[in-house]
Amino acid sequence: MSGKLGGKVALVTGGRGGIGRAICERFIAEGATVFAADLSDTGSMGAASGAAAAFVQLDVTSEDQVKAAMGTVEAAAGKLDVLVNAAGIEIEKTIEHTTLEEWNRCFAVNVTGMFLTSKHALPLMRKAVSGGGTASIINFGSYDGFIADPGLAAYCASKGAVHALTRAMACDHGPEGIRVNAICPGYIDTPMLQCFFAGAGSGGGGRTIEALRDAVRNVHPIRNYGTPTDVANLVNWLASDEARYASGQLWVLDGGLSAQVQQMRL
Amino acid sequence: MTSQGNGLKSKIAVVTGGGRGIGRAVVDRLLADGASVLTCGRGNRPADLAAEVFWVQADVGIAADARTIVASAREAFGEPTILVNNAGVQLTKTVVETTDTDWDLVVGTNCKGMFNMCREVLPFMTEHGGSIVNIGSISGNVSDPKMAIYNASKAFVHGLTRSVAIDHGPKVRCNAICPGWIMTEMAADGFDLARDPARARADAFARHPAGRLGAPDDIANAVAWLVSDQAAFANGQCFVIDGGLTAASPLQPELF
Repeated sequence: MSGKLGGKVALVTGGRGGIGRAICERFIAEGATVFAADLSDTGSMGAASGAAAAFVQLDVTSEDQVKAAMGTVEAAAGKLDVLVNAAGIEIEKTIEHTTLEEWNRCFAVNVTGMFLTSKHALPLMRKAVSGGGTASIINFGSYDGFIADPGLAAYCASKGAVHALTRAMACDHGPEGIRVNAICPGYIDTPMLQCFFAGAGSGGGGRTIEALRDAVRNVHPIRNYGTPTDVANLVNWLASDEARYASGQLWVLDGGLSAQVQQMRL
Repeated sequence: MTSQGNGLKSKIAVVTGGGRGIGRAVVDRLLADGASVLTCGRGNRPADLAAEVFWVQADVGIAADARTIVASAREAFGEPTILVNNAGVQLTKTVVETTDTDWDLVVGTNCKGMFNMCREVLPFMTEHGGSIVNIGSISGNVSDPKMAIYNASKAFVHGLTRSVAIDHGPKVRCNAICPGWIMTEMAADGFDLARDPARARADAFARHPAGRLGAPDDIANAVAWLVSDQAAFANGQCFVIDGGLTAASPLQPELF
């Protein structure tokens, strides 16, 4: 590996989840010092294998815990070059069936968590850019922030908020050398996606999980789901100095899914 | 310019309009990443073009020329699996000011040229795989004033990018890069013509959260990523690289 992130310090929220774990592994391979922040050391996937990033206990909805996590990074590394906001949850319901508690929980993790981590990362990111160069915040939006999937109302709305927050932060902090972009994945094969297929309320319509999986796969122009590695490839580029002029943008990575008009079944 | 090493080793690339500006930066970068590169332009081979780059004097807007470009690549290196449609012309006119000749030049190069080139490479790529990157523009998403036909031609580029992506998968990927203001000779000339060139430059820089215009290498970096295997799941998209320009509202009262 070429070591595109040598000397950089990175914090990845949701760092023990499906996509977060792939990002941490890639960052380590590229030479970065990596902190994986998550609710638990095993996240949604069991024990980590291979080179694991340093674990930081973090519930992104708690300002106290966010401050403590940044304190840990500061004490260990003194600065933060890259913040990846990958922590997120899905509520698989229409608004009619979504309780206020679920709605608030979805926004707390997906939007408020991003606000809190970014806000408290800024002082450390300013230290990273003090010698010139750029720091990079990479948020997780979704193609669902542009076009909706059925039965995912709170999630779609939260991702739309992420996209707008990404642009706003890019405008506000670009002048001090902090780039802000969002990655908008389509269907990526993660525990969250498998839960979606298995979920009774996800529009399965009585079909088997396998039939649903194949149907969704075949709607993609590229005829496959993405992998966490595909996402990590793009995160790695956006985190690197190669992307020094990329800011304020929403990077859709969906195998062509949203380039097409909905496929009519005539 | 930062090379990714030999990530494109043994790949064969055709880059249109590689004589100068963004196209030249793309040519140099793909070469540095290990690809064999052919480029073309309407004029003579530029004296400072790297010796190993194959040059064809041709107009992509003419179907027979597009055929010649791809045939030349085939003879020189083999079948191309990378196509970067960069050749383009800009025209600063409203609809009313635009003549038939203007239309033929802008639409002929920016739209028909891209179509001609895709049509030549797709039969092989559809069977054996390939990656096409088109140079669109932020002007295809939001309009620049007095550049009507240019703006529309870039929206065409974005639309055809999506069509190629969905018609010719799964082996072909097709994406576009939409540059913002890139400091090329073309942009420098524009500033020099302003009533107050220094003020025009300062204003343009201030509108970019990045605090500067882009460099051709900024675009070449993105093209190099998109044509590489790192971008295996990126398809059918138009990616904006503009230093944050279009993320901001065009209404910034403090600049007036």
